[in-house]
Amino acid sequence: MKQKTISPVHSTEYLKLRDVTISFDTPSGIFTAVKNINLTVARGEIASIIGHSGCGKSTILNAIGGLVTPSAGEMVLGGVKIDEPGPDRGIVFQHYSLLPWLTVYQNIFEAVDSVCKDKTKKEKAELVESFLMKVRLWDHRDKRPAQISGGMKQRVAVARAFAIHPEVLLLDEPFGALDALTKASLHEELVELLQMDNQTDTVVIVTHDIEEAIFLSDKIVVMTNGPEATVGEIIQVPIPRPRDKREIVHLKEYVEVHDRLLYLLMDAFAAQRRPAA
Amino acid sequence: MKDEAVIKQSWPMSRLRQFTLSTVLNRMRDFVKSVAFSLTGFCILLVIWSLISGISAGSLPGPARTLRVFGQLLSHPFYDNGPNDKGVGIQLITSIGRVFVGFGLGSVVAIPAGMLIGASPEFKKMFYPLVQLLRPVSPLAWFPLGLAVFKSAGSATIFVIFITSLWPTLINTAFGVASVPDDHRNLARAFAFSKRKYLTKILIPYSLPYILTGLRLSVGVAWLVIVAGEMLSGGIGIGFFVWDSWNALSLERVMSAILLIGLVGLLLDRGFDLIARRFSYE
Repeated sequence: MKQKTISPVHSTEYLKLRDVTISFDTPSGIFTAVKNINLTVARGEIASIIGHSGCGKSTILNAIGGLVTPSAGEMVLGGVKIDEPGPDRGIVFQHYSLLPWLTVYQNIFEAVDSVCKDKTKKEKAELVESFLMKVRLWDHRDKRPAQISGGMKQRVAVARAFAIHPEVLLLDEPFGALDALTKASLHEELVELLQMDNQTDTVVIVTHDIEEAIFLSDKIVVMTNGPEATVGEIIQVPIPRPRDKREIVHLKEYVEVHDRLLYLLMDAFAAQRRPAA
Repeated sequence: MKDEAVIKQSWPMSRLRQFTLSTVLNRMRDFVKSVAFSLTGFCILLVIWSLISGISAGSLPGPARTLRVFGQLLSHPFYDNGPNDKGVGIQLITSIGRVFVGFGLGSVVAIPAGMLIGASPEFKKMFYPLVQLLRPVSPLAWFPLGLAVFKSAGSATIFVIFITSLWPTLINTAFGVASVPDDHRNLARAFAFSKRKYLTKILIPYSLPYILTGLRLSVGVAWLVIVAGEMLSGGIGIGFFVWDSWNALSLERVMSAILLIGLVGLLLDRGFDLIARRFSYE
């Protein structure tokens, strides 16, 4: 594991959500997606938010990203209140969000160009090149998103998020649309990227995949069902990182966390229905 | 990577498959088939046309007489015997020129206006009712205004085409700009795109297909309207040619002009379709 100097004030509460409630004004009234979310993520920690679809997990991620403003509560990152998107957070969107008229290279370059304003054009180009190399897409740099596979698109999106050197990486169901084999190799690639990078170390992942959550994260936040979803339980994953996908499945800790998650998602928060108002 | 390997292997294979003998033969057969169907359609038209011509005892010229006159017209398309006797080529080119000037000016106004209306709800509230009020008006109703302002029938015709070309382009541009997906907007916010970058890397590329559709519709309507406009303005142009031929009691020339107008319209449409395909990114 890499060693980092972490400022003691923010070490355990680097990212903090306190009583966050997010509601939307809809034509049929106010819809409360998530309510009273309390969550802390330490610097260097990887946290997963897991839950059924419609539990508002993406909404929480968008709020951390500064794209959605909470109706109540407070969000703090590194001691600073979050109220807009910023270059300290790199987002990997659910549907890749690559611009279809730009090439793979341009998709990353435009993000770098816009965030790293103080760099020269040459430095930006080098940055883009190095990240395209890291995700092994250099040979595909002149292709457009429609010409590459889903896994490759997601690697472009991941490279783009890393390339702006954020402190926090926000991943919104990043591998949900991919087949199991592609998913597994992308998991390992993500872990490698995190180890290589000396800036980005804190990660929040939204997922509905139990194995993915356990393999990647230190802490798993299980959501209750929506609407008005909230944090149901927070489970620590007591397995040191980096982990080996083939080995951890045999560990007692893995099985325990897996069983607990399965129980929570299949039983405790599964059939939960709010009575009609 | 696994997915790359799959692509590398399957690509050349599918390429090869495209060029086997049987696919080439299949394609040729499909092509011949579709040409045969088109020809059948034309033949049916010719038969009906001949029948009607026969029933009308020759007051409507039949296909043979029309095609003879059509041939004569095309054999000297650019002769010029003074103001009231010019070749059909000169008439067509004048009309096409007017359409492009009017359409060009209209597009220069309609694209930015459409972008503003699409991007800003305030602008939309301010100007969209106006657009909806003026759009259903036949562009020919503007002809007298054009005459009053420009004191020239030719300029007034161009003005009519200018008005004609505004609406489809403006409405399609506004629609395209307003429908930029949230994903793209969020991307621009998350990566702190400047206004300029948002405009050049997201808004314009995204709405370009919509703008091109608007332009294609505009040029189509402009070509429809120019004929009527030149019937009003007189002097020169394919519309004037149609009216002049009717006054000279030559329905053969009128029918020939209809054929030519249709052909030019088709070419304009195909041309814009090609441009639109060139800029489609899917």
